[in-house]
Amino acid sequence: MFRFHIKYACFFFVLYLSSCQEDKIEYKGGDELRFGLIESSLKEAKDKKRSLKERKESLKEAYAISSTLDDGLYKLNQFREISLEYYRVKDLDNFKKHNDKTLDLSIILKDSLNMAKSYFLNGLYYRNSDLGIAYENFDKSEKIYASFDKANNLDPLLYAYDHGKVLTDLAKILRKVKDYSQSEGLTIEAIKKFKLSKNPKYLPLCYTNLGILAKYTERYEASVDYHLQSIEYAKNTNKEVFQTIASYNNIGTVYKSDKKYKKAEEYYNRALSYNDFLNKNPKTFALLLDNLAYVKFLSNDNENIPEAFFESLSIRDSISDIQGISTNTLHLAEYYKSNENDSLAKSFAERAKNAALEVNNNEELLQSYELLSEVSDNENGLVYARKYIRLSDSLVKEERAFRDKLARIRFETEEKVQEIAAISREKELLIFAILGLSVLFLLGYVIFRQQQSNKELLFEQNQQQSNQEIYRLLLSQQLKLEEGRKLEQHRMSEELHDGVLGRLFGVRLSLDGINQRANDGFTESRNKYIDELKSIEKEIRLISHDLGTDTLSPDIAYVDVVESLVSDLCTVHKMEFAFANDENIDWETIDDQKKVNLFRIIQESLQNIFKHARAKSVKINFDYVDDKINLTILDDGIGFKSSKVKRGIGLKNITSRVTQMNGVVDFISNQDSGTKVSVGIPI
Amino acid sequence: MIDDHPMIIEGYKNTLLGENQKEYQIKIDIASNCDDAYDSILKSSKTTPYDMLFVDIKLPPSSDGTITSGEDLAKHAKELLPKAKIIILTMHREDHRIHNILKNINPSGFLIKSDLTSSELLLAFNNIVSGTPYYSATVNNHFRKMMTNNFSLDEKNLKILYHLSRGVKTKNLPNYVSLSLSAIEKRKNQIKEMFSIAKADDQKLLEEARKRGFV
Repeated sequence: MFRFHIKYACFFFVLYLSSCQEDKIEYKGGDELRFGLIESSLKEAKDKKRSLKERKESLKEAYAISSTLDDGLYKLNQFREISLEYYRVKDLDNFKKHNDKTLDLSIILKDSLNMAKSYFLNGLYYRNSDLGIAYENFDKSEKIYASFDKANNLDPLLYAYDHGKVLTDLAKILRKVKDYSQSEGLTIEAIKKFKLSKNPKYLPLCYTNLGILAKYTERYEASVDYHLQSIEYAKNTNKEVFQTIASYNNIGTVYKSDKKYKKAEEYYNRALSYNDFLNKNPKTFALLLDNLAYVKFLSNDNENIPEAFFESLSIRDSISDIQGISTNTLHLAEYYKSNENDSLAKSFAERAKNAALEVNNNEELLQSYELLSEVSDNENGLVYARKYIRLSDSLVKEERAFRDKLARIRFETEEKVQEIAAISREKELLIFAILGLSVLFLLGYVIFRQQQSNKELLFEQNQQQSNQEIYRLLLSQQLKLEEGRKLEQHRMSEELHDGVLGRLFGVRLSLDGINQRANDGFTESRNKYIDELKSIEKEIRLISHDLGTDTLSPDIAYVDVVESLVSDLCTVHKMEFAFANDENIDWETIDDQKKVNLFRIIQESLQNIFKHARAKSVKINFDYVDDKINLTILDDGIGFKSSKVKRGIGLKNITSRVTQMNGVVDFISNQDSGTKVSVGIPI
Repeated sequence: MIDDHPMIIEGYKNTLLGENQKEYQIKIDIASNCDDAYDSILKSSKTTPYDMLFVDIKLPPSSDGTITSGEDLAKHAKELLPKAKIIILTMHREDHRIHNILKNINPSGFLIKSDLTSSELLLAFNNIVSGTPYYSATVNNHFRKMMTNNFSLDEKNLKILYHLSRGVKTKNLPNYVSLSLSAIEKRKNQIKEMFSIAKADDQKLLEEARKRGFV
C-alpha cells in the first residue's frame, strides 16, 4: 500500500518539478555576454537619430542573439521588445513575425499575460486588413484578461490598461459591423478599465465611440453629451485641439442626423475656428468645409453653396483624399439633383461611385447607386436600381454573415479559454493532488517509521528477554552440574572419612595390638607397615577433607560460567589465558541483564582477538572499584590503529551493550603491543 | 565402647585385651549407635555403672533424634555415670571441634584416631585408669596454641575463620554461623586487629590464622 503511494507521489513529484523548471530563468555561462550584446543592440535600435535601416539591422542582430538564449522570461521580454520596436520603425511584417515568436514562447512558458498581449498586437496588425482575423485575436486577448478578472489572482492594475485597449478595439470592430449594443457594452467596459488603470489616454476615444453609437441608435442628445465628455477628457492633453475639432464635427453630424441644421452649423463653425490646427491639417479642414456646406444645403440656405463644396473638393483632390472625394462628390450630386441639373448630378454621382468603390465604402457606393438610378435615363436607371438592390441585399447578408462569424469566433475563443482555464484548474488540481499525496506519503512514512521503531524496540526487548533466559538456563545448568558434583563429592568424602578411614583405622589398630603381643622378631618390620597404613589413612583423610570442602556457593557459578567460556574458547583456539575475579564482587546481587552483557562482551572480545589479534595469551579481569565493576580484557596481539579501524559490528555491539548499562568503554590499542578493552559498569 | 565400625571396636579390643594387659579384668560392652549406647548406659547406671566409656563422635543418631552424636551421648553419660571416665575417640581434628568437645565434655581422654597407635591407646588407657587425663598430640597441640596466643578466640570467631578457610564468602557466613553479616564483619575486623593486621584482606587473615594455629 505504502509502496503504491510512494510510487505515485514520486511520479507526480517529478512531473511537478519538471513543470516548475520551465518557469525558472536559468543563467548559464556566457549569458552575461549575450545579455550585454542584446541590450546594446536594442539601445541602438531605439536610437531615433539613426536611420530606419540601421535600426532594423540592430533589431535583427538583437533577435539573432536572443533566439540563442534558453527559453525563459528574459528571452520572452527581449522578443517582446524587439517586436514592438519593429512596430515603431513601421516594419509591420517583421513586427507580426516577431510578435508570433513572442506568442509561441509565451505559450511554451505558459505566460498568459504575455499571450494576451501578443494576441492584442496581432489584432492590431490585422485591424486594417482583415476584420475577422483581427477580431479573433482581440477576442482571444480579451478572454484571457477576463479570465484574470474571474480568477482574481493577479493585480488588476497590471493589465487593466491593456485590457481596456483590447476592449476598445473590439468595440470599434463591432460598431463597424453594426452590432451597436455589443459595441456599447464593450466600450463601457473599456472605460471602466481605463479609469481603473488611471491612464485616461484612450478615454476620449471611448466616449467618441459611445457618441457615434448613440447617434446610430438615434439617441441624439445622449450622443452630444458623450462627445462633449470626450472633449472634457482630452483637456490638458496634447490631443486636446484635435479631439475638440473632431468632437465638434461629430456633434455637428449628430445634429445633422437630428435635422437640427442650425445647431449643426454652429458646431461646424466652432470647429472651423481652430485656424492654426486646420492650416496644418487640410484633410480635416476639407471635411469640415464639406460638412458645413452640406448642412447649409440641407437647411436650404443655398448661399455660397456649390462654391464651398468645390473648395473642399479641390483641397481633397490636391491631397488625394479618396474617401473625402467620394463623400464630397455625393454631396454635389445631391445638390445638383435638387437643382434638377441631372447631367451634372449624374457625373458627380458616377465619380462618387468610383471613389467609393476605390475605398471600399459600401454605404456611399449604395448612396451613389441610388442617386444614379434616379438621375439616369430609364434604362440606365433600372440597371442602377438593380445594382442598388443587389448591393444592399449583399451588404445586409454580409453584415449578418460577419456578425455570425464574430459570434462563432467568440464562442470558439470562449471554448479555448475555458480549455486554458481547465488546464490551469488541472494544474491546480495536480498541485493539490501532489500536496495531498505528499502529506499522505509523509504521514505514511511517519507511521511506517513509528512501526519500525516499535518493532525494533519489541525486538530489543525480546532479545533482552531471551538473553536473560539463556543466561538463566546456562546458570541453572551449571548449578545443577555443580550440585550433582557437590553431592557426589560429599558422598565420597563421607564414605572415605567414616567408612574407609574408620575401617582402615580399626584394621591398623588391631594389627598394632596383635603386633604388640607377638614376639617373633618381625615386630619392627610390621610396625613399619603399620606406620605406612597410618600415612595412607592420613592421605585418605586429606582427600576426604578436600572433597568435603564446600567450595561452592551460588555466586561462584557465574564466574564459573564465564571461566568455562574463556577456557573453552581459548582451548579451541590454542591460546593461553588468565582469568581473575575480584572476590568483593557480589555477583548474586547483580542483575542478570548486566551479567549477560558482560558475558557477551567477553565473548565478542574473544572473537575479535581470535579473528584479528593473532595473540598468544589473553588476560581477563573482573575488578571491583568504587561500586563499579571493571572488566579488563587484555591481549598481547598485533593491536590496531584506533583511528584506522572502521568500527566493526563487534566493537559497535560492545559499545551498545555498555551504553545500555550506563557504563563506559575504552578500546586502547597500540600497534604491536596488544589491545586493551576496559569496561566500567556501575552497580 | 561406642563406635559404628565393628572393625574399630575389634581394634580396641585387640589392643586392650592383649597379652601385656593381664593386670586388668576388662569387661567390654559394645554399641554401634546412639540408641543402643544410651540404653546400655542407662541400664548400667541402674546396675553396675561403667568405669570407662569409649565414645566415637560420629555415630548414627538416636531414633527419636535427640542424640545425634557422641558429643550428645557423652553429655548424657556424664549425668548418668558421673564417675565414669570418658574417652573421646574421633577422626575429627579440626580445632574448633576439638575446642568444642573440650569445653562441653572435658573428657578424661581425647584421642584423635588418625594419630592413634595401639601403644598410645594402651598408654592412654593406663593413664586414665590411674587418674591422669590423656590427650592426643593433636589435642595437646591445640592446647599449646591456645596458650601461646595471649588471647583466645571464642567459638564463633573460630567458626568464622574455619568457614573462611573452606572458601565460604563472608556474605554467606550467616548461613554457617548464627550471626548477622554486620556482626560477622565486626568480628572479622576484631580478629584482624588481634592479629595486628588491621585492614588486611581475607587471604592475609587466613594466612595469619593458620600461622597462629587457629585454623
